[in-house]
Amino acid sequence: MNEQLTIAPRRIGWFCSYVPEEIILAAGCEPVRLEGRVERFQEIDSYLHANLCFTIRNIFESGLRKQYDDLDAVIFANSCDGMRRLYELWSHYIQTPAAYFLEIPKNRDENGISFFSSQLLNLKNQLEEDFAVSITAERLVQAGLQMNERRGKMLELFERQKASPLPYKGSELHTLAIQEGRLPKRDMYPEIQSVLEKPVPVQPVGKAAPRLLVSGNEGTTPTLFRLIENSNADVVLFDTCRGLNHYTGMVSMGNDPIQSIARRYLFKPACARMPGSAQRMERLAALIDEYAIDGVVYSGVQFCDYTLFESALIEPFLKARSLPVLVVENDYIWSNTEQIRTRIEAFVEMTQNKRRTA
Amino acid sequence: MQERYQMMLEMIQARLLEKKRGMDFFIDALFRNILRAYDPELPTVYVSGYAFPMELLWAFDVTPFDFEIACNNLPEVMTGNGSGLMLESEKRGYSRNICSFDRLIIGCLHQGILPKGDLFLTSSYYCHGKAKTNEVVAAHYGMESVLLDVPNEISPAAITYVATQLRNIAAKLEAVTGTKLDPARLKESIHRSNQARASLLTICDWMKRRPCPWNGVEACLLGLGGALFWGSPVRIEIHRLLLTQILERVEKGKTIPEDYRILWFPWVPVQNTNIFKILKENCANVVMAEASFVFWPELDENRPFESLAMKALLDPHVGKAERRIQNLVQSIDDYQIDGAIHFSTTSCYHENTAFPIIRDAIKKKGVPLLNLSGDMSDERNYSAAETNIRISAFMELLAG
Ligand code: SF4
Ligand code: SF4
Repeated sequence: MNEQLTIAPRRIGWFCSYVPEEIILAAGCEPVRLEGRVERFQEIDSYLHANLCFTIRNIFESGLRKQYDDLDAVIFANSCDGMRRLYELWSHYIQTPAAYFLEIPKNRDENGISFFSSQLLNLKNQLEEDFAVSITAERLVQAGLQMNERRGKMLELFERQKASPLPYKGSELHTLAIQEGRLPKRDMYPEIQSVLEKPVPVQPVGKAAPRLLVSGNEGTTPTLFRLIENSNADVVLFDTCRGLNHYTGMVSMGNDPIQSIARRYLFKPACARMPGSAQRMERLAALIDEYAIDGVVYSGVQFCDYTLFESALIEPFLKARSLPVLVVENDYIWSNTEQIRTRIEAFVEMTQNKRRTA
Repeated sequence: MQERYQMMLEMIQARLLEKKRGMDFFIDALFRNILRAYDPELPTVYVSGYAFPMELLWAFDVTPFDFEIACNNLPEVMTGNGSGLMLESEKRGYSRNICSFDRLIIGCLHQGILPKGDLFLTSSYYCHGKAKTNEVVAAHYGMESVLLDVPNEISPAAITYVATQLRNIAAKLEAVTGTKLDPARLKESIHRSNQARASLLTICDWMKRRPCPWNGVEACLLGLGGALFWGSPVRIEIHRLLLTQILERVEKGKTIPEDYRILWFPWVPVQNTNIFKILKENCANVVMAEASFVFWPELDENRPFESLAMKALLDPHVGKAERRIQNLVQSIDDYQIDGAIHFSTTSCYHENTAFPIIRDAIKKKGVPLLNLSGDMSDERNYSAAETNIRISAFMELLAG
C-alpha cells in the first residue's frame, strides 16, 4: 500500500461523484460524503416546493437541523438544477464555515477538460487560502495514488461478482461502499482489505438465484438490496454513483496533476447528468453480458429529473432485449417499503420463471 | 400540425390587415417561421431560442425551430387541452413529474407532429430537462444532439469554454448549410441584435410610466418566444411597431386603469388561465416581467463569439439566483411595483429551488408577494377555483 497521507481532523463534505476527493485529501482534510440524515421532514416545506428531489430535500433538512455542523466546509457541484441551487440555499440558510461550488462541464472533450481543470485549480486555490495549506503537485500525486489504490480494491470486489455462485451479497457491498464514502479513509483500508481477504462463502450448486443489477440512484440505505435478497434474488452489481460507476477509471498522472484528475473524472463512465444516453445504454448492455445478469431494477429518487428521463429510455431498451426490468421510485429513505416489496417479489418471480424457461 | 399553424397564421394575418400591431407581427413571424421548418428547402435547426445566442443562427441560411415555443403554441395547449398531447409521452414511461414542456414535446414527437431537423442544438440553461428532451428528439431522428454547455460562473475560462463551443457549433452550421460562415453576416446579425436591444430598453423605460402604456404579460411572451429573433430584422420591426403603439396610447391617453402595479416572475403560463382576467377586474396591471429584462450589455461586433458567450453566461437563469434577485429588487423601484407574483410551475426544479431566497429578498423589500402554483401547459396541474381564491386574497392584501 502507498504511504498514506497524514489526515488532519478537518472534514470537508462533498456529494456528487464528480467531486475529486484527491483535492480534499491533498489539502490534508478528510472527505465526507454528504447524505440526507432525516427520517421525517419537519422544516423543509417552508423552504422547498413539494415536487423537489428527495435527496435535496433530505440533505437540506439535515443541514437545517444542524446535523452537518461538524463540517469545516462543503463542496457542492453542478450535478443538476436542484443541486446547483442547493449550494445557494446552503450558503444562505445553513452557513457551514465554507461552501464551494464546482462546475462540471457536460462536454467531455478537450475544451471540457481545460475548463474543468480551471475549476479544480480554483478549488485548490480556495482550499489553500481558507485552510492555510499548500497543495503541492507532489501531494496531489500522492492523493491520486491513494485514491487509485482504494478504487482498485473496490473494483476487485465488483469484479469478483462476475462469478457464480455469487461471492458477496449485494447489500454487504453496498454497505461497504456507503461506509467508504462516510468514514475516514484510513479506517476504510483495513475494512476493504479484510473483505477482500475473507474466504468467499460458497453457495450450494444448483441453488443459484436470479442475478439482478441495480441502476439509477438507490440512496444510502440497503433497503432495496435487502428487499431483493429477501425475495430470493441476488444483487450482483449496482452500477450507480455509489457503486461501480463511482470507482471505475483511474487517475493516470501526467505532468499536470490537476489536469490528470480532471481527465479521470470527466471521462469516467457518465451518469445520467451527462449527455449521451445511447452510450450509457451500451455500457449497461455490456455489463449485463459480463455479469450474466437476469434482470435490472432501475430506481430513481422521486423528482430526480435525470432518472425520470433515463427510466423512460431504459425500459424499452431492455425490453427489446427481452431482459426483465423493474422501474421503482424511492423517496431516498425508502419509507414506501411495503408497496415496493410486492412489486419486487413479483418481479423476482417473473425473472425466475423466465430463467427456467430459458 | 402544419394545418393548425396555417389556420392560426391566417387569423393573425387578418388582424394585421386591420392594423399592424407589434405582437401580431411577432406571432405572424413566429408561425411563418414554424411553417418554414417543415419546408425541405432550408435546413431546419432545432434550438431553444430563449436559451441560446440566436445571433449565430441568423448569420446562416437556416430555419431555427424552437420545439418548446412551437408545441406550446398549438391550439390544444392554448385552449386548455395540452395534456391530450402529453399523454403520448406518459404512455411511453415519461413521468408526470417531468416538466409539462418536455412531456408535450415528446408527446408531439411520437404523434409525428414535429418537423424533421438537420441539426439539434440546445443549451444547458435554463433547465437540464430541455437538453434531455433534445436528446430524445434527436435520437428519434437518428441524429446527434449538440449541447451548448453554459457554466454558472463568469470568468475568462468560462468565456473561452463557451466561445469555443460556439465556434464548434458554427462549424456544424457550416456543414448543414454547405456554406462557410461569413464574418460580415455575423457582424450584421450582432449589429441588428444591438439595435433591437436599444429599442427594447426604450420600451422598458416607457413601461415605467404610470399607468403603464404596454403590458408585462405580452412583454414576457415576447421575452421568451421572441428570443428566437435576436439578430434577425424581425425583432427590430416588432419593437418599432410596439413603440409606435406605446406612443399612440400615451398621446391619446388610452392606457388601461391601474390601481396596482404588478411585477411578474419568472414566466407566464402558456395554457389558458383565469389569472389575467381576475387581475384585470381588480385593476392590477402586470407592468413588468422578469423574462423581459435586458440583462446583457451591448454585444461587441468585433468579438462575436466571446460576446455571445458572455450573453449566454449573463442569463439570469445561469449562475447564482443572486443575479435574479438584484434584477427583481431593482425593478421594484424602477417600475414602482405594488406587488409581485411568482408563478411556480410544477417540476421546474431550478426555479422552485431558487424561490425561497428570492422570496426573502422581496419580503425584505417590503413588497407583498403571491406564490401562485400552477403549470405552464398541463391543465391537470392547474385549479382555476384555487387561483381565484389566492388572487382575491392577494388583492385584499394590496388594498390594505
Ligand atoms: S437525485 Fe437527481 S435531482 Fe436529486 S440531487 Fe441527485 S441528480 Fe439531482
Ligand atoms: S418551466 Fe422550468 S423546467 Fe420547464 S422547460 Fe421551463 S425552465 Fe425547464
